Amino acid sequence: MNFDHLIDPKLWAPLFDLTDPTHAQASWRFLGRGLLLTLQITVIAATASLAFGTVLALLRLTRNPVIHYPALVLIEGVRALPVLFIIFFTWAAMLSFRDLALWVPATIGLTIYTSAVTAEIIRAGISSIDRGQLEASRALGLSYPVAMRNVILPQALRRMVPPLISQLITLLKDTSLASIIGLAEFFQQGRTLYNFWGNPLQTLLTVALVYMLINTALSRVSARLEEGRQRREKTRVQTRETVAPA
Amino acid sequence: MKVVQDNLPLLLSGLGITAQLGALALLMALAAGTLVGVVRVLPVPGLPWLGAAYVEFFRNSPLLVQMFIWFFGLPTIGISLPPFWAAVTALGIYTSAFVAEVVRAGIQAVSRGHIEAARSMGLSYLQTLRHVVLPQAFSITIPPLGNLSIALAKNTSIASAIAVGDLLYQGELINARTFATYPVFLTVMALYLVVTVPMSWGVNLLEGRLVAYRR
Repeated sequence: MNFDHLIDPKLWAPLFDLTDPTHAQASWRFLGRGLLLTLQITVIAATASLAFGTVLALLRLTRNPVIHYPALVLIEGVRALPVLFIIFFTWAAMLSFRDLALWVPATIGLTIYTSAVTAEIIRAGISSIDRGQLEASRALGLSYPVAMRNVILPQALRRMVPPLISQLITLLKDTSLASIIGLAEFFQQGRTLYNFWGNPLQTLLTVALVYMLINTALSRVSARLEEGRQRREKTRVQTRETVAPA
Repeated sequence: MKVVQDNLPLLLSGLGITAQLGALALLMALAAGTLVGVVRVLPVPGLPWLGAAYVEFFRNSPLLVQMFIWFFGLPTIGISLPPFWAAVTALGIYTSAFVAEVVRAGIQAVSRGHIEAARSMGLSYLQTLRHVVLPQAFSITIPPLGNLSIALAKNTSIASAIAVGDLLYQGELINARTFATYPVFLTVMALYLVVTVPMSWGVNLLEGRLVAYRR
């Protein structure tokens, strides 16, 4: 093993040279454009997935078999597929569109997958709410939709914050897969950069570190929120450690 | 449809590579993950922090970036892995970070009373770990490990980015050659489902059995 390449300061300079920062500034501005795109895609996909996921979860929870079983098959089917496959398929299917902006199939693919996973998280959350809550609401004269919206869902969503944030972290990591269809997100910008400067190990480690810092911050936020919720509601819900490993 | 028939052997060989990649990576993940998980609960100063750093880094950075580090980054310090083995290592180490967390949670779930009883009977810390804690932690960790295996099976698809001939890679190649996008990718989709759906049924069954046992 020859570590000269790893510690050679000339290879770290394009990113971290503080004495002559012109190259470093250009490098980070370049990376920053990719990071902005990554964050935009994450926010759009996360919001859309939350909306679609809630709808899917409610569809799966109905007792009407005509709606329940298709929803179940859709959710379980999409969850069983690799994200990269879904992104790739979406992109390949959209190739016939002219002037296709690459972020569109990427975001659609990510949303499809994340909606299915989110649907499962929300369904588990709704199911974990005591039946008594729904029975009491109905006994008070509230209809099922009103009871859902005003009584059940608010409680369920608060409980599901840690797994949802965990899925957000996974979503952020999955945006890097869009580079495979050519989207110029953060990781792709890093690749272009190291191909220009010839410092793959240094640049890749830095890129990995940035992802790690963002995600670690998100998981700290999640832990803090959960702590606050448990103190406020004086309950400890026995949720299994739902670490989203995708 | 004829396209699929003609290319089915290629797709199946891709599936074979996916299976090998997954199995080897799983072994690595279980071995490394259990080690790191145990390290995180040892009373040695500094070790738990190292374990935490390992878990945070490999869990929170994307698998794709890690694969590129193992395949494109390491040659600069002299280690040149063939694509398949770079993929196995990247996938194995990435998943081991998740395994470590599951193992740690399982160990910490064993009630203190058992540990205290074992220690007061004269067993050393390591003996307690081996004879009292780990056997009980085992049944708690199995369902989460099952879910991690399913995720691992799906993550093998990322190896296609460094040109490992897995199922997705073969599908991409055939699509590029024949432009029969829907037949090819629907077949790839069916093959992935054939692998992962039974796995998740298996995990659900296992979960049911283990809960009954632990009562």
